[in-house]
Amino acid sequence: MGIQGLSKLIADVAPAAIKENEIKNYFGRKVAIDASMSLYQFLIAVRSEGAQLTTADGETTSHLMGTFYRTIRMVENGIKPVYVFDGKPPTMKSGELEKRGEKRAEAEAALEKAKELGNQDEVDKQSRRLVKVGKSHVEDCKELLKFMGIPFVSAPCEAEAQCAELVKSGKVYAVGTEDMDALTFGTKVLLRHLTFSEARKMPIKEFYYDQVLEGFNMTQDQFIDLCILLGCDYCDKIKGVGPKNAIKLVQDHKSIEEIIKHLDGKKFSPPENWLFSEARRLFKEPEVTPASEIDLKWEKPDEEGLVKYMCEQKGFAEDRIRNGAKKLLKARQGSTQGRLDGFFKVLPSTPKAGTNKRKSEETKVGSGKKTKTPTGKGFRR
Amino acid sequence: MFEARLVQGNLLKKVLESLKDLLTEASWDCADTGIQLQAMDNSHVSLVSVQLRADGFDKFRCDRQLSMGMNLTSMSKILRCAANDDIITIKAQDQADNVTFVFESPNQEKVADYEMKLMNLDQEHLGIPETDYAAVIKLPAAEFQRIIKDLSQFGESVVISCTKEGVKFSAAGDIGVGNIKLAQTASVDKEEEAVTIEMQEPVTLTFACRYLNMFTKATCLAPQVTLSMSPEVPLVVEYKIGDMGHVRYYLAPKIEDEDN
Repeated sequence: MGIQGLSKLIADVAPAAIKENEIKNYFGRKVAIDASMSLYQFLIAVRSEGAQLTTADGETTSHLMGTFYRTIRMVENGIKPVYVFDGKPPTMKSGELEKRGEKRAEAEAALEKAKELGNQDEVDKQSRRLVKVGKSHVEDCKELLKFMGIPFVSAPCEAEAQCAELVKSGKVYAVGTEDMDALTFGTKVLLRHLTFSEARKMPIKEFYYDQVLEGFNMTQDQFIDLCILLGCDYCDKIKGVGPKNAIKLVQDHKSIEEIIKHLDGKKFSPPENWLFSEARRLFKEPEVTPASEIDLKWEKPDEEGLVKYMCEQKGFAEDRIRNGAKKLLKARQGSTQGRLDGFFKVLPSTPKAGTNKRKSEETKVGSGKKTKTPTGKGFRR
Repeated sequence: MFEARLVQGNLLKKVLESLKDLLTEASWDCADTGIQLQAMDNSHVSLVSVQLRADGFDKFRCDRQLSMGMNLTSMSKILRCAANDDIITIKAQDQADNVTFVFESPNQEKVADYEMKLMNLDQEHLGIPETDYAAVIKLPAAEFQRIIKDLSQFGESVVISCTKEGVKFSAAGDIGVGNIKLAQTASVDKEEEAVTIEMQEPVTLTFACRYLNMFTKATCLAPQVTLSMSPEVPLVVEYKIGDMGHVRYYLAPKIEDEDN
């Protein structure tokens, strides 16, 4: 999933692009949530004694539980979430999906074996690997979000690409996902750990696209090529080229075409029928609904509808659902706290320019001593 | 090299007290004109700007402009080691990794020095435009502190509205509503206790109590506080530091939500 080793590479090469922040500092921000990613998270993580939560009939409800409570957590912190669901996978992804299918088969076999051996830890681990988000899970969530008054978007294709489109157009501030390829699609701000449980006390990690490019010293196109070399969902990579090598190759040769020309044929060979240019096109011009056609509205929660759906159909406790609805309603009241960056402009980060300005404002020199002006930028005025 | 000696060391202690709830770390920018600090809190809702002019110090030397990034919690710990009547001297080399604080007792019999590591901080500076505010309210600092503290019990935010008649602070919440009205003082016997209002047009703005409460930590600095407001721009809360500078807090207002 995503881009292999990209977050680690950013942390090593462009540490300035990563910031940590608390969830409460995102008040008033609109955030696009990669729904498929969060559904997987919930199905895997929201469990009781290792098993998924179910209704009396054995229908899974972990995803509803997760979506309900973690959405409320975001809303209570003043965040306005919009969920983006996956459409059909691009055909280029079939190879990757095949691999995932194989892994599932492996996990299934391992699960059988673990069950035979009675190894409970292993059973838990393997059953988590077998989790798959199905159509019914997605439909359930959409239904729930409707009652909660939270908007969602059904992407024609990849959800990450649609999220990136929403950020680029300014409809939302950031994308909440664990999947780093949202960055490859050009997401300006990526937030990790946003939908994690509160109990984990995990700070939110922000990745800034522009700072990543600056730190890597790359253009957007070069960054996409780098991601392909690191390993993406759409095509193979050059065997034996690791992250350190990949970044150097892109910095030296600027494009995959040039890299292939200069590749040390003895050590590395590009994959046969390498479809890198198709993968590149998928990242650059993904199939998305234009943001201008999307209208995001955060509505009042429908408490009765929620109770009817969640309690009568899915067997949740009524008082909890009502409580949650109250929280959603309360968060809508009152006004939103503004931010100073909305009023004051950030000055370019040359500290000398700032001090200089002050100097011109005040001519009084307290020490009465002639002080040396620093050379360089100090003489700008 | 940088050296600044302040006989009224107490002032610096108070400045730190007024910062440390809002900021954990910040850069002190030193130039031959004095020392400045500008920083936003983590959520970017408020900003503090401190100015200490060189002429307010008994001795001030700054050969090269330098920016000293400090952990304010640590700095506050060190300054707490100084007695209220101590003379404080701050010293640093031009390319220093450390800063030294020297505390001398008034009779020169006790001298303590503390060294602290500097930090490399990459902080954003904001350009604050010169603004003519629609309403400028001056009131006793302790009065302001009391008002904010009292109203904080009612709700998360306080509405400040300034009209010809005076200034009104209100808060509403689960337990009820609170209103405090202050009229301009008619006769000024003591300047420090006066409430004065200079107003071009009426203004009403809403602010978060949490931040206002943190601002009032600076009450010990000055007898009077100045509130400057204009429609839809941040509030300025200013406390003078003796006659050598000021602490100014900027706070973004709360705004009505348009897409609910």
